[in-house]
Amino acid sequence: MTDTQTIASMRPATTQDVADILMDAASKGEPLVVRGNGTRVGLGNPVAATRVLELGGLDQIDFYDPDDLVIRAGVGATLDNLEQVLAEKGQYLPFEPPRYAGLYGTNGARSTLGGAVSTALSGPRRILTGAVRDFVLGVEGVNGQGDVFKAGGRTMKNVTGYDISKLVTGANGTLAALTMLTIKVLPAPRAEVTLVLPAATLEEDVALFARMRALPLGIGGLVRRVNAAGVCEVLVRVEGTVPGVAGNQQVLNGLLGARGGMVVLEQAQSHALWAGVRELDCLNAKPDELVWRVNLPATTMPTFVEQARKAGCINRFFVDWAGGVVFSTMRGVQPEVDTLRYRKMAEKAGARATILRAPDAVRAQFGAFPPVSAGVAALAARTRTAFDPAGILNPGRMTVQA
Amino acid sequence: MQMPEPSQAIISQRDALAQGLRQIVGKDWVISDDAQRRPYQCDGITAYMAMPLLVVLPGCADEVQAVLRFCNEKGVKIVPRGSGTSLSGGALPLEDGVLLVTSRLCNVLAVDEHNRVARVQPGVPNIKITEAVSHLGLCYMPDPSSQLISTIGGNVAENAGGVHCLKYGVTANHILGMQAVLMTGEMVELGGAYLGAAEGELDLMGVLTGSEGLLAVVTEIAVRLEPVPEVARVISMSFPSVEEACACVGAIIGVGVIPAGLEFMDRKVLDAVSVLIKEKFDDRTAALLLCELDGTAVEVDALVGVVSDVARAQGAIELKVSTTEEERQRIWSSRKLAFSAIGKLCPDYYCTDGTIPRNKLPEVLNKMADMSKKYGLDYANCFHAGDGNLHPIIMYDAAKPGDLEKAEEFGADVLIACVDAGGVLSGEHGIGVEKRDLMTHQFTEIDLQQQQMVKCAFDPKDLLNPGKMFPTLCRCAEFGRMHVHNGNLRFADIPRF
Repeated sequence: MTDTQTIASMRPATTQDVADILMDAASKGEPLVVRGNGTRVGLGNPVAATRVLELGGLDQIDFYDPDDLVIRAGVGATLDNLEQVLAEKGQYLPFEPPRYAGLYGTNGARSTLGGAVSTALSGPRRILTGAVRDFVLGVEGVNGQGDVFKAGGRTMKNVTGYDISKLVTGANGTLAALTMLTIKVLPAPRAEVTLVLPAATLEEDVALFARMRALPLGIGGLVRRVNAAGVCEVLVRVEGTVPGVAGNQQVLNGLLGARGGMVVLEQAQSHALWAGVRELDCLNAKPDELVWRVNLPATTMPTFVEQARKAGCINRFFVDWAGGVVFSTMRGVQPEVDTLRYRKMAEKAGARATILRAPDAVRAQFGAFPPVSAGVAALAARTRTAFDPAGILNPGRMTVQA
Repeated sequence: MQMPEPSQAIISQRDALAQGLRQIVGKDWVISDDAQRRPYQCDGITAYMAMPLLVVLPGCADEVQAVLRFCNEKGVKIVPRGSGTSLSGGALPLEDGVLLVTSRLCNVLAVDEHNRVARVQPGVPNIKITEAVSHLGLCYMPDPSSQLISTIGGNVAENAGGVHCLKYGVTANHILGMQAVLMTGEMVELGGAYLGAAEGELDLMGVLTGSEGLLAVVTEIAVRLEPVPEVARVISMSFPSVEEACACVGAIIGVGVIPAGLEFMDRKVLDAVSVLIKEKFDDRTAALLLCELDGTAVEVDALVGVVSDVARAQGAIELKVSTTEEERQRIWSSRKLAFSAIGKLCPDYYCTDGTIPRNKLPEVLNKMADMSKKYGLDYANCFHAGDGNLHPIIMYDAAKPGDLEKAEEFGADVLIACVDAGGVLSGEHGIGVEKRDLMTHQFTEIDLQQQQMVKCAFDPKDLLNPGKMFPTLCRCAEFGRMHVHNGNLRFADIPRF
């Protein structure tokens, strides 16, 4: 699952090198695949380009200021490296970036910060701490004309010019080749436990999620999944200070006790469990299966899942974000037919269905990302032109060309 | 401060334009006479005034669409305005522009308790959202101090912050979806009423938030609701020096605590406030920090202990911890009254909102003391220390010739010092007209050009709130044709206002 027929890679080590490459490509109107180390190479639509601009070489940490909760690093800095540096000071990347290396058969140790920001993938903690976009304070990048620009800053609050940092987050490299990112970090919670309890029906579990979230209990993960032993279970991650977690756990015991069969996983076990949840391990996606993510209001999720399963569009699935996202596999027997049906079903439910993994041909035909209205598509196209008039940066990565 | 030259051709069509707009919104909702337009001459910055060509108050999103389409066709500029509390002149009218006021779009349209989302119109005052959901134990978190009056639409335009955004984030972190109308009258729906509704396409909602009314007029907003924290307690911490208070800010965050709010007040502010609250502060106190901690009772008790230990280690001479809600409110009253207390000390004051890395607080505060001597103007400091968001209060007398100009220069020097310390011109008030001409200090020509290109994608005729945020007008046509390499100053000879 690679971009079509890429033959040559360029791996610059400085922002100026990136600018030179892009100025040259712009003058020739030559499209480029822009990526970090290519560990999420099956995400988004395939790009028709013969050369790859790989930004993984821009991997230096520029500064890290723990007292100011801010780190600035090259886009090629690996998430593993950053997380280790932050952990030494008791801090973390709050958006819990997934690598999805298992999904794409790549090496997750090489997943970069730039990739995390460009794909805007947020982990299970999103319901508590927020999404990637909430933590990108400032950016430096090179637009499609080879101009180096910066936007945002390093402070927590900033209304100085348009929030270009948000615009490039999740743009999948279609606006600029990012070179440097300034990220807000947070103190990692001192304590963490996970309560595991037997699942009930989807409706009952979603209602339970809502009841728990109505209380300020520091719940940083609410999942319903089938575990390795084939048992359907609910996972509740509680985080905070040591006494805070103990207190919140007691409140939850009262709320959840009626279900019975609760198991408590302490710090280390809990940590390992959620690393797997983040990577969609429990989907156990087979190589020939498609993998989907559907975002939707939690309350409409049970009906949607039930219908999609009946229609054969969902093979295995699990629910994250307190019911607000469904990750699922789809049999690869008739991917074109099922893709169309699943998308339609999602659209009817007011949901957004994204293909996380599928053969190139499927993504090229239907688009990895769900379609948007004509007006939004046109506005996004004009915005892309504002950064990349020649259309050389990952053309077609996010939108299916008409 | 100079604005773009008003178009006499447009001004001469005032009566015809008023008539056209009355056909859209009804005759009562277009204000054209002098007496009724006068209250709209300025926003929260009273130093800048202009009489709007006309004031229009649409009653629904369709009318907003029609008004924009009409003005776009006639080439008439639009300045959007909520309650007019902007502290950067973002809603400063244009003499040849229509002021589009959102006051009539003031309904909370729907509350979805289970998915914890409210859909609201832009003219809803911030506080009304929380009031509409408080019976469910929910609230809308961002709380700018203007929240009783300022509208959610204005909050979106300025990406408003507030005392509690240290822990809970600013407006942008709480918006899930929006409906917006472009200058052409075209309506777009961005995101939706759930997490992740905007994913898979460019984050246009993200760039609209904080765009100061230059890109589109927002007609509906879906906001996230949060459970109200069970308990909140505040610690008042006195320090014998500004430096020690500043150091304590970094130390609290460094130890892993994110307070709900962390505010700084200097001695001048305390003296002014003590008159109002009839309470004396310890003579040795040079600066006071207010640190609010919230969460469950157990959690908060633990954090109060941690923060108190840090404060003592950093040299705090007196700690007061609220034990009841009444006490908490009383301790906060000093901060809440700060600006009105200062207002009683001087005929006028001027306040900006440059933001800096927290560890640069002592350095920039020291520079401010030097500037005060240079300009011969007194100042006081009362700000969101936890975010490094400064609010220097520069005292002057508008009746004294030259005083306003000196205050403005003092303010500009502070902002330049903020940028030089690695910070930004504005943390929460926005650029507007006030800081517009300083943008070139923070950004290169290329940075600004890239931002203005975004403006071209949304509003190629530059009719929405022109003259704000950027020191030069947008030149969409030129951008399309020309390309100059890094470092070369473009359009070196064009007029700047």
